[in-house]
Amino acid sequence: MADLNRREFLTGSAAGLVLAGCSRRIAERPQARRARLVSIVGQPDYSQQVYGEMRRILAEHHLNVRGKRVLLKPNLVEFEPDTPINTHPMLVHAAFEAFRELGATVSIGEGPGHRRNTLDMAEAAGYFETIPHFEDIFTDLNLDRVSEVRLPHPHSRLRSIHLAQSAVACDLLVSMPKMKTHHWVGATLSMKNLFGTVSGGVYGWPKNILHWAGIPECVADLYRMLPKHFAIVDGIVGMEGNGPIQGTAKRSRVIVAGGDLAAVDASCCQIMSIDPRRIEYLRLATGDVGGLLGSIRQIGEPVASVKTGFKLMPEWRGIAEQRV
Amino acid sequence: MVSLLESQNPDGGWPYQRGGPSWTEPTAYALLALMAEGSVAEPVDKGLRWLNAAQLPDGGWGPQPAVLQSTWVTAVATLLGPAALGGDAYRRGIAWIVQSSGEDTSFLIRVRQFLTGNAQGDPGWPWFAGTSAWVTPTALSMLALRKAARCAASPQILARLDMGASYLLAHACSDGGWNHGAARALDYDARSYPETTGVALLALNGKDTPGVRKACRWAQGQLPGCRASEAESWLRLGLLAHGQLPANAPLPARPPRTIQNAALALLASAAATGRNPFLE
Repeated sequence: MADLNRREFLTGSAAGLVLAGCSRRIAERPQARRARLVSIVGQPDYSQQVYGEMRRILAEHHLNVRGKRVLLKPNLVEFEPDTPINTHPMLVHAAFEAFRELGATVSIGEGPGHRRNTLDMAEAAGYFETIPHFEDIFTDLNLDRVSEVRLPHPHSRLRSIHLAQSAVACDLLVSMPKMKTHHWVGATLSMKNLFGTVSGGVYGWPKNILHWAGIPECVADLYRMLPKHFAIVDGIVGMEGNGPIQGTAKRSRVIVAGGDLAAVDASCCQIMSIDPRRIEYLRLATGDVGGLLGSIRQIGEPVASVKTGFKLMPEWRGIAEQRV
Repeated sequence: MVSLLESQNPDGGWPYQRGGPSWTEPTAYALLALMAEGSVAEPVDKGLRWLNAAQLPDGGWGPQPAVLQSTWVTAVATLLGPAALGGDAYRRGIAWIVQSSGEDTSFLIRVRQFLTGNAQGDPGWPWFAGTSAWVTPTALSMLALRKAARCAASPQILARLDMGASYLLAHACSDGGWNHGAARALDYDARSYPETTGVALLALNGKDTPGVRKACRWAQGQLPGCRASEAESWLRLGLLAHGQLPANAPLPARPPRTIQNAALALLASAAATGRNPFLE
């Protein structure tokens, strides 16, 4: 807390001089200290209220992003504006405005896994209509410049991987997934959303190299390779059943956010009535999901008040929370 | 056309998006489109020099010079043919395609699939070495090999063409078209995509089977509501290849948002006037 106050003081007084010195603070700040804080915000619908809630969430997390490059990474999967497949554009716009008001240079990027026409998908999903000058601030991460990132001790079989340079070079990567069930990993949330930073231009559509190297293992590797992160999960309307594409809408009326993707995803699982200890990528990424759960401080709505049972495919019923 | 010329990088290659680095795929499509439009000598020569310099020692092409691994883009590069690429570069590219196949159709995995009653059909082509075969790289590799067979048909090329056709027909979705190559996931039917259906139909040029006819009907139904330029172009190319583009088909209306989509739109337009570089 003392560090936080000092940072707030410095930001407010001698910002110009201090910002350069603070420039690596987002990256270096220990995940365990700030990032276990998870905001759970009840939000009934996609209305103007989302904009105020987003400002409040960022304030709760005391993000110092002034002068920093922030990349918002929504989840764009399909051309279906009336289904809960894609992250809602209003939530992304609200985050865009809130980060910009904090002094960040904000851009938006995504690299979908199946469809190549990312901008056309964004248009169909309502991004052009909702976010002014969308084309000017958007990067197709599949077609971006690439950075080869080595993995010294990977969980997966990969030894290095080509990632979109925008995701590697930004000061803060904000993973903005939809809260959905997933037929290969149980639940797809802010960590799985990092698959969109892997270059489709190099690996193709789908990025099948991640499947061959192990999906949960690659999720855990990407979580470690992209440590300057924050998560804002669109759970206002999520997807249950045969997600991430063919499931059905689930109104869970919640936004979940925080500085540690694993903590956010574990909290989302609790809201979805999924046992986070049964999600393989959480187990791999943290080594001890029980320990992770013990270290999370949830603020806002109590999980019990927003908990809703997401329908699971028969193959995934084993991950449901066991009722006592 | 002008936009395509203006977006060429000083190194001779083309980016996916103006101002970006040169990649093999948009460079090859831009060259195909310029050559189909009657060629503009200097940009074409410069582009071909970039492409020749980017060929890797194993005969294939990587997606961009920073990636030293030959991939599916070899098929797009070799579509330019021996006259453009040079005979030796072309032959080495075709040889690379002939030996490339999806990991899921490797011998050991096919034995396992046979034993579990889960056979996946003949080998297709992957996007990236060491991974499964998928519809788009299979279709593009078939188009490249078909062009090679017109110059000199070897038994290996003809065998791979038959296998590729078998792969595509085995991976059609239940609605008639193709998606990326997973017609079913966990026993649930998946939906087709217009762009992959178009490129698969183009690769199956000359095949007249119930599956191909069903795919043509599905593709015709997609044309009016197309939401991407890439999808419009591939659907038109695919339907033209089977003589099934309706006379009253809507004109392309979506803006191409990448260089390769702009080139594809030009190629589809050329094909409508009888010049189809994919099938010549």
